[in-house]
Amino acid sequence: MKLAFRNAYFSLSSRSLNPNPNLPLLPFLLRRVSDSVAPPSLRRLVMETPCSASMAVGESESHAPLSSPPLEKQFEGFCVQLDESGVLRERIRAVVMEIESTTRLMHAGLLLVHQARPSPEVLERPKAQIGVLKELYNRLAEILRECPAQYYRYHGDWRGETQTVVSLLAFMHWLETGNLLLHTEAQEKLGLNNLDFGLDVEDYLIGICFMSSELPRFVVNQVTAGDYDCPRKVLKFMTELHAAFRMLNLRNDFLRKKFDGMKYDLRRVEEVYYDVKIRGLTANDDSTGDTTNQEQPQGLV
Amino acid sequence: MFFRGCAFQRLPSLMASKSKRIHHCFAAEVAGTVAQSTPKRATTMTTESSMADAFSKYADYLNALNEKRERIVKASRDITINSKKVIFQVHRVSKYNREEVLEKAEKDLAAVTDQYMARLVKELQGSDFWKLRRAYSPGVQEYVEAATFYRFCRTGTLLHLDEINATLLPLSDPSLAPLQINVLDYLLGLADLTGELMRLAIGRISDGEVEYAQNICKFVRDIYRELTLVVPSMDDSDDMKAKMDTMLQSVTKIENACFSVHVRGSEYMPLLGSNDPNSILLGVTDIEP
Repeated sequence: MKLAFRNAYFSLSSRSLNPNPNLPLLPFLLRRVSDSVAPPSLRRLVMETPCSASMAVGESESHAPLSSPPLEKQFEGFCVQLDESGVLRERIRAVVMEIESTTRLMHAGLLLVHQARPSPEVLERPKAQIGVLKELYNRLAEILRECPAQYYRYHGDWRGETQTVVSLLAFMHWLETGNLLLHTEAQEKLGLNNLDFGLDVEDYLIGICFMSSELPRFVVNQVTAGDYDCPRKVLKFMTELHAAFRMLNLRNDFLRKKFDGMKYDLRRVEEVYYDVKIRGLTANDDSTGDTTNQEQPQGLV
Repeated sequence: MFFRGCAFQRLPSLMASKSKRIHHCFAAEVAGTVAQSTPKRATTMTTESSMADAFSKYADYLNALNEKRERIVKASRDITINSKKVIFQVHRVSKYNREEVLEKAEKDLAAVTDQYMARLVKELQGSDFWKLRRAYSPGVQEYVEAATFYRFCRTGTLLHLDEINATLLPLSDPSLAPLQINVLDYLLGLADLTGELMRLAIGRISDGEVEYAQNICKFVRDIYRELTLVVPSMDDSDDMKAKMDTMLQSVTKIENACFSVHVRGSEYMPLLGSNDPNSILLGVTDIEP
């Protein structure tokens, strides 16, 4: 065997495959050959196992009769792939930054509701931003269409902002209608759909939890501003919401933590409601002798 | 409670679609429900029932998702355990039992593929590949480690990602998207491979197969070098960066061991595995590191 190796060694070195003859390589080649099973495959192995550490890649690829090192080639492929996904990620992050600035505008606009009894005009400007958001999410969807089925690969990049968006939309929806914005409704508002680029259910639920933490502050300020019926409505809504959330079987993750926080929000609202009620500030159907404000909706307490 | 009863009646029809793409069927069902409820009277009765209905659907969705995640984690654990067995098996290789050890390892690896990877294939569809990646990634990394380790001991070459994925293709139903290991898990598995190769190299040196150890050294150096170019571009490259540090340590250990043998080679090389009855070192096998 040793003789065969020496011959192989000399024939290889004489052919000078490698413009940058890297002598330590050749003994390695020979030793690899020594691990091969049968002599007939010897020559094939010698032919196929190239000088893998050839640094002059470009040159060796054009001069050498052998294929370019398979080891390098695979990793070059990986480099290209990963760089592409990196570029994609940059684009996604750019769009998400725009979403972020839009939500900041919306949030600032919505903060006005705390200052006085909300009038419909207060909601006009935040509502106008919804169109902008729709367009931004559409751009995200377009970017992702280039790499189908990888929604969740990049999901982390827009997850946080999306949760904020849902909370703002849900709060606005509640201010307008007194109802909970549902997942499907939220999707529609943002122009998303499940087949293409959807709203993740967990993001939606976390967004709702964020919204519920706005309500205690809202109800406190409303009472201060003179709206004594607000606590009743908010309490009713929050009780229902909390009950609905309890139907979920949550594991110990972020959503669970947010949901756990909801009961403190609920308690705060209950306290406000209690404060208002015992002082006789609310107009109740069952409150004795109090005949102010009969225009409340019937039987919904 | 009235509303809860209402919600439960709808469950059987939802069960059938659970096994399919839950995420995709979800909106259609929810939309259907909302359409069924009484139209545009902003009374709280509608709110309550649609809220409870909606949340019962969210509950179904989350339950199905979590159950699937559990099953995938279990499959991943099984893959991990059995891949480790393959690795231990390959470690037993020596000059004398190479063929039998590697044959058994090949069989064991095929069993991991057919039995345990197949379970992953069954569970993962469409968006699951990336959504639930954290659940199955450890198992897949271990599998890559085992497969590349076996291949190296068999042929001295690196098993490529496309090659592994080719072996996984037959496991999937041709009508569905096949389970294909992604670049990130492959590279993470490769990083672990170098640790095993380090152990193998040290073991081979102890057995006197110094050339083999030097081959391993070269191989690991190549991998390390290639990886340094690729790692910074990886998604969440933090754990990979930690692995790169460990890898460099492994490379260094192998290099140091080779160095020791080289420097002291003349002292004990000819006596290793010596059957010379006159050798004073007959029967002595340990070598200073």
